[in-house]
Amino acid sequence: MSIPYKILVCIKQVPDANAKIYLEKTKPHYDEKTVYVINRYDEYALEEALQLKDKGLTHYIHTISAGPDRIQKALRRSLEMGADEAYHIVTGDDDCAIPYYVAQCITDFAKNEYDIILTGVMSQDAMNQQTGQLIASMLGYNYATGVTGIQTNDDVITVTRELDAQTSMQYALKIPCVIAVQSSSIIPRYPSLSNVLRAKKQHIGMIKPIMSSQVQYHSFYTIPQKTTECEFIQGRTDQKVVELYKILHRNAVV
Amino acid sequence: MCILIIADIKNNQINPATAELFTAANTIAKDIITTVYLLIPCNDVKITSNYRPDVKTIVIGMSIYNYNAQGLSKAIASIAHDIKAHYIIGLHTPFTIDFLPSISIEYNAHCITQVHTIQHDEHLTFVRGSCSGKLDQYIDIDNKPVVASIAPGSFDEYVADDTDNSINDTINEVTQITIAAAEKQLCTFITKENKDSSLDEADIIIGVGKGIGSKDNLTLIYNFAKIFPHSAVAGSRIVCDYGWLPYSKQVGITGKSIAPRVYIACAISGSSQHIAGIKGAKTIIAINKDNDAPIFNISHYGVVEDIFTFIPQFLEYVKRL
Ligand SMILES: Cc1cc2nc3c(=O)[nH]c(=O)nc-3n(C[C@H](O)[C@H](O)[C@H](O)COP(=O)(O)OP(=O)(O)OC[C@H]3O[C@@H](n4cnc5c(N)ncnc54)[C@H](O)[C@@H]3O)c2cc1C
Ligand SMILES: Nc1ncnc2c1ncn2[C@@H]1O[C@H](COP(=O)(O)O)[C@@H](O)[C@H]1O
Repeated sequence: MSIPYKILVCIKQVPDANAKIYLEKTKPHYDEKTVYVINRYDEYALEEALQLKDKGLTHYIHTISAGPDRIQKALRRSLEMGADEAYHIVTGDDDCAIPYYVAQCITDFAKNEYDIILTGVMSQDAMNQQTGQLIASMLGYNYATGVTGIQTNDDVITVTRELDAQTSMQYALKIPCVIAVQSSSIIPRYPSLSNVLRAKKQHIGMIKPIMSSQVQYHSFYTIPQKTTECEFIQGRTDQKVVELYKILHRNAVV
Repeated sequence: MCILIIADIKNNQINPATAELFTAANTIAKDIITTVYLLIPCNDVKITSNYRPDVKTIVIGMSIYNYNAQGLSKAIASIAHDIKAHYIIGLHTPFTIDFLPSISIEYNAHCITQVHTIQHDEHLTFVRGSCSGKLDQYIDIDNKPVVASIAPGSFDEYVADDTDNSINDTINEVTQITIAAAEKQLCTFITKENKDSSLDEADIIIGVGKGIGSKDNLTLIYNFAKIFPHSAVAGSRIVCDYGWLPYSKQVGITGKSIAPRVYIACAISGSSQHIAGIKGAKTIIAINKDNDAPIFNISHYGVVEDIFTFIPQFLEYVKRL
């Protein structure tokens, strides 16, 4: 009935694992050398959507991202991977925007246009693990988080949710729904050359954000306190080797 | 004041770590007179001893086999409304984090996740890890209600005081709330057995992260492990997702918890999800080329080096001994 599905994938652009972070007064700051990438879990979410497209269940994958101009690179990449259209909600340069506000902006864009909204389970930088749930509740949709598998049978979508190393939960989700995807053994695809060429010409839609929300809190950032006093082994590499050997010997493992 | 604690469910019973939430609640309350409620989100879970029987208990009349996040969060919001809860707290686990944020929408509250510290001086401040664990975010609490998830292991388990005779082994007050039939889903649980006990038995575990770069490069780690008589190799989730190691070797909140004498983390950044699994290790050593990597915040010894230069030199040295 809902096939072909209309799918929206939420994409956040995040600094890569090597990014150096500084405190500017009390806010996080990344320098100019920072490389930005698509949030790891959002790549898995997009891959899940693309696999539904491969099965002929959709030809309608849109991607959405809220943030400053630089995030268009992530949206462009989503088109290269195979998304059909991309939209940019033009907000300020705040990597750690309050999730409630981001969810409101995305909800306002999505309205009731989509059958399935996919998000990542977590943004690697802010680590909120709540944006997908908030979008679902704002729209009144069913949802599941930590999803490592999506099975389809006609218009029934069955999700597998990971609880811990041993246990998963499986159930059918009524459409429309929100699915927050966890990383798994599927491998997000590399863009094909033809998709890269196609994506070059594509237009990215610009969307005005909603007015700032009322649910705001005051926050500031600091460098974390260490729970252990880490003793850094000093010296040249060969000296560190000897020192580490001594430590391991003291701990009776060699 | 009123605090609503949500019991976490693990293997069809109350996760013992739920007891940590009572300590968190005490920190929030400080000297303010507070009523604490314990909410059990399903009515067919085993109730074990590790929870506080002296608090008012509310049980949601939903089978765990009919779990529905949306229905459950609405039910909890309506209870929160009845008892005028100021704080609704749960553990930050895959089970609880699924429905917890939705309560904040239904109840018009702030939602703050992955809280690892609560400060209550003049102000009440919730502290959470952010920026991939490289910074802490401090959030000042105003008058609006708060829904918060607390990272497991952040607070000590609350231990009931024997002299408090209000404590007994029965549930004082049980309120059953039922959720609408339309909202029930049919859930099945899948358990995979992990027969691999190598990580339980090893004296020393070499953990390997994404920095290893490829499956072939793992030879370096295996050779490193071979130096030690009772050793095993484990990995971060990324390493297992890529198929470089089987999932049975994954360490962390969605993997194994380990407690060896020594854990050496090689090219592992030290995400809170990974760290959750290594708290039992007696000595933690990290080898990472980034001196800001969060793994150093919980390590006893740190080696700031590239593993591809350091480990071969280490192997050479041992060979010459
Ligand atoms: C709900 C949820 C559950 C999760 N559960 C788990 C879990 O159970 N276990 C788990 O591990 N993760 C888990 N994760 C994933 C976790 O958030 C991190 O993404 C993951 O732990 C990072 O793995 P990593 O440290 O190998 O990689 P990265 O974070 O990419 O870090 C790589 C590190 O290697 C260093 N490095 C790179 N090259 C070299 C070199 N040549 N020499 C020295 N150092 C080098 C870098 O400086 C960096 O610090 C979970 C995530 C979510 C959202
Ligand atoms: N600024 C954003 N733009 C688009 N999607 C986002 C944004 N922030 C978060 N998301 C989505 O919400 C998911 C969970 O993020 P978080 O709640 O911040 O951990 C991410 O994996 C994204 O899919």
